Amino acid sequence: MAEQPILEVENLHVDFALHTGTVSAVKGVSFSLSKGETLALVGESGSGKSVTALSILQLLPPVARYPQGSIRYDGQEMLGARPGTLQTIRGNRVAMVFQEPMTSLNPLQTVEQQVAEVLTEHRGMDRKEARARVLELFRLVGIPDAERRLSAYPHELSGGQRQRVMIAMALACEPDVLIADEPTTALDVTIQAQIMALLKDLKQRFGMAMLFITHDLGIVHHFADRVCVMRLGEVVEQGSTREVFANPQHPYTRELLDAEPHGHKEPPPEDAPVLLEARDVKVWFPIRGGWFSRVTGHVKAVDRISLTLREGQTLGIVGESGSGKSTLGKAILKLLDSDGRIRFEGAAIDGLSPLQMKPLRRKMQVVFQDPFGSLSPRMTIGEVIAEGLKVHEPLMSARQREAAVIQALEEVAIDPGLRNRYPHEFSGGQRQRIAIARAMVLKPKFLLLDEPTSALDRSVQVKVVDLLKALQRKYGLTYLFISHDLAVVRAMADEVIVMQHGRVVEHGRAEQIFHHPRQDYTRQLLAASFDLELTDGARVA
Amino acid sequence: MLSYAFKRLAQSIPTLFIVITISFFLMRLAPGGPFDGERKLPPEIEANILAAYNLDKPLYWQFFDYLGGILQGDFGPSFKYKDFTVSDLIWAGFPVSLELGMWAMLLGVVFGVSIGCYAALKQNTRLDYLMMGGAMAGIAIPNFVMAPILTLVFGVYLSWLPVGGWDSGAVANKVLPVIALALPQIAYIARMTRGSMIEVMGSHFIRTARAKGLSERKVVRRHALKSALLPVVSYLGPATAGIITGSVVIEQIFGIPGIGRYFVQAALNRDYTLVMGTVVFYGALIILFNLVVDLIYGLLDPQIRYDD
Amino acid sequence: MRRLVRNRATMVSLILLALIVLASFLGPVLLGTEIDDVYWDYMGGPPTWDGQHWFGTDSNGRDLLIRTLYGGQISLTVALVATFVSLIIGVTYGAISGYVGGRTDNLMMRFVDILYSLPFMFLVILMMVVFGRSILLIYIAIGAVEWLDMARIVRGQTLALKRREFVAAAHALGVSDTGILLRHIVPNAVGPVIVYVTLTVPKVILLESFLSFLGLGVQEPMTSWGVLISEGTASMESAPWMLFFPALFLAVTLFCLNFIGDGLRDALDPKTR
Repeated sequence: MAEQPILEVENLHVDFALHTGTVSAVKGVSFSLSKGETLALVGESGSGKSVTALSILQLLPPVARYPQGSIRYDGQEMLGARPGTLQTIRGNRVAMVFQEPMTSLNPLQTVEQQVAEVLTEHRGMDRKEARARVLELFRLVGIPDAERRLSAYPHELSGGQRQRVMIAMALACEPDVLIADEPTTALDVTIQAQIMALLKDLKQRFGMAMLFITHDLGIVHHFADRVCVMRLGEVVEQGSTREVFANPQHPYTRELLDAEPHGHKEPPPEDAPVLLEARDVKVWFPIRGGWFSRVTGHVKAVDRISLTLREGQTLGIVGESGSGKSTLGKAILKLLDSDGRIRFEGAAIDGLSPLQMKPLRRKMQVVFQDPFGSLSPRMTIGEVIAEGLKVHEPLMSARQREAAVIQALEEVAIDPGLRNRYPHEFSGGQRQRIAIARAMVLKPKFLLLDEPTSALDRSVQVKVVDLLKALQRKYGLTYLFISHDLAVVRAMADEVIVMQHGRVVEHGRAEQIFHHPRQDYTRQLLAASFDLELTDGARVA
Repeated sequence: MLSYAFKRLAQSIPTLFIVITISFFLMRLAPGGPFDGERKLPPEIEANILAAYNLDKPLYWQFFDYLGGILQGDFGPSFKYKDFTVSDLIWAGFPVSLELGMWAMLLGVVFGVSIGCYAALKQNTRLDYLMMGGAMAGIAIPNFVMAPILTLVFGVYLSWLPVGGWDSGAVANKVLPVIALALPQIAYIARMTRGSMIEVMGSHFIRTARAKGLSERKVVRRHALKSALLPVVSYLGPATAGIITGSVVIEQIFGIPGIGRYFVQAALNRDYTLVMGTVVFYGALIILFNLVVDLIYGLLDPQIRYDD
Repeated sequence: MRRLVRNRATMVSLILLALIVLASFLGPVLLGTEIDDVYWDYMGGPPTWDGQHWFGTDSNGRDLLIRTLYGGQISLTVALVATFVSLIIGVTYGAISGYVGGRTDNLMMRFVDILYSLPFMFLVILMMVVFGRSILLIYIAIGAVEWLDMARIVRGQTLALKRREFVAAAHALGVSDTGILLRHIVPNAVGPVIVYVTLTVPKVILLESFLSFLGLGVQEPMTSWGVLISEGTASMESAPWMLFFPALFLAVTLFCLNFIGDGLRDALDPKTR
């Protein structure tokens, strides 16, 4: 580690010149990276970590300005370097893997063309040599059936495979430094674990230095030699991973480390009455094709799922994208059509018309994932919360309604004085609180929580989880909690269903699922979520 | 791909059928009926029409008869030009209109794309504003205003180019009509290219291309251009329709013996059969071109799904 | 709105357009002359600066200023009415198609696709030939042509909004379909529709003047910019002012409308906010 650093960032400032004025995104960041070392830049959204990473190769859009500072690769200044100099370094000596595997590849070129381009550009290879090398790289990064994949277009590959192609592209010239900007954030946990294991393995094999940008401390713990904790454009703490985790100095670091949702939930008493019961719920989407849009098959989004919720219970539904967990939630609330029987408070609701459902709606409420999408942008938050009251309490006076809105906002710790503002004036966490207030103002008995914390930063997540738990205790609410995030589910749920491909893989008490999983898939999920090391041996490479 | 092509072809047949049907029955709806028209027809034409349309037969019979004729390229006799059939007139005018249209389309694409790309890469510079201001003018000034102005300046005041006429296709006679026809297309395509180029240049895969160490020129040429031009390709269908429509005015203003001029004359003279024949012919042309454009688009964009 | 003001081109366009509209509708009243008043002593005369004939007269001795303003009335009225027709048809069709979705949507959009590939301009001309040239027909014909784009835009918006979580949340609150359409979908789709309307108006003006230019649109004694430009073209060598003034009015109006449309789009586009 005492070696001459390969990459040095010194007092870096980055500003964005926008119409509205200049915004400082990075304010005096310094760090260095030695050969073969892995440094993690950790921070929540808005910390400036990605901006810092993109500055190194000068990949920020033209509105970015660098008023001060220096970035040196192997002693060479990158800020203000001639385009020719940058081009010999980019992709060759310093390579990058981006967060968005879906959009980072050119949709109109085959993956072979795109990877080979790096080789013809920097190594002067001809087509044949390049093809051989691409094939070798594809095998190295674990793309199955590599030969056939050469001629594939990005849209024909899965997210994980695309990220592998990106990694192959980055490794093509065996760079000295690999910058990985949240390379796994857009992927499912099990794929995440595989990609991380791959990166770790490749790093060792090639002896590269790696700059790893992430918001996920779990990943840092297992992969980084050193950590820089960033907040609002500044580095608040930096040091060896072991030290920072064992003995965090800065309060923000401590807050981040504590941000893992904690605690667990006791199940309700055995004799608590059943609130909601679903038997053999099925949601099949027809696949149409052929000349006259015939139904050629079905996507079995939810395939015969049964569940029972007692009053005061929290049932967690866990699964990766495409497992059908959200569809199941919507089917139970009758927000989409399904087959099967659903009973609420002992009465069958599966056959009810929308009009018959209406009085039940106030008892069954929902909070969605996307705090940006779940509030209508053209209504004030007061109107958003009052809307349900207008539907269910048409006789309520305007003043009573206002009082109810104020009370609901207070309940979720939002200043009621802000009720005439529009959603875009609030942060993600605040919007999620507003969405919770919209549900709570109706005094429901049952809440469907569809990934309510997934779009939020960890430190905000914890607060939302605490709020939900407090509300549950206060009002004896029953939750159906849908999430891909096992850490949150462990803190929230007393019973868990693990779903995959529309079916139940495992169903049981929370402690049983988390401590004594019976199914392989559950074990994989747990390993991927809580202990990345475990998957090293079992990786698909 | 092949089955997709067939399917698209199969879809365009009903469209053409609708065009023919609407045209035919619109004619039959004409107050007083077009065929026993408001003015006295010369007897030989009356006889021709009676024979051609089987006016003594029931309506559906007449319709299918007309359809059958079209399939063989026969649109019946012209009302006004007694010695010509509609097909004669269309085929006489078509080569002229086609030549005009092709040149205008070529100019439109070449200049439109170049200007658009250039403006996008020089985004928010004075040059960009200048070019986009010019493009806006090209859209705002209709070609029936632009054409007389061009004639006035280059034909009358400067006397560089002929004011009108075709002169059996002499180059000098083509310059002004082609330019007048191409200007709005250049303007549209330039604006469209600029917009999509700017969007593409801000996309993630362009950032990837830069991160590979490609020069800006290669980033644009290898990665941005093709994506940015996809919307332009799909605009070529509407552009054809635009050029055909424009040619109607341009041929009128410059006195060019193309289909457009016959068409306007026919419309003003109520030469029903010629109007109808031209509408069907133009319809077929536009539908055909849309089909070709769709197929080209399918070849360019691997993401297009052929299964629907 | 602040962005809109900041966009100087848009503001200038708004003011110019307002002037043209005011002049077209109030000017003839203030001038106190009629469009077919004939000045026998000043036929085909160039513009004068003495306040008699600012724009000159045409070959029949009619004052061109009053004719240009009247022509503006017709052109602008046609544009507004036809755009309104297209707005009503387009929004209704698009919203239903997008909101109902599924097979209905598929069918309705196929229909639009077919209409798209029809040579509409020519069918309109055909209608003019068959039914004679009436201004009502122009309204209907143009409105019927222009609704297609509007329907597509509204449908796209509706489809996108329908999938948004706030709509699902409203369903969960028990809000009725009508309530969702009116309170959640329409207000959020209004922005793009307004932009599109501003861009439809110049298209319609262009279409009308195109028809009139060919002699297939507005008929004497009424007039429109297209008619005047056509007359101006016929005598542009001897009396260029006859082409110049109506062409200027038409071009400036189209310019302004396009700029306003662009400015509005920038102001409403969340991406550029």
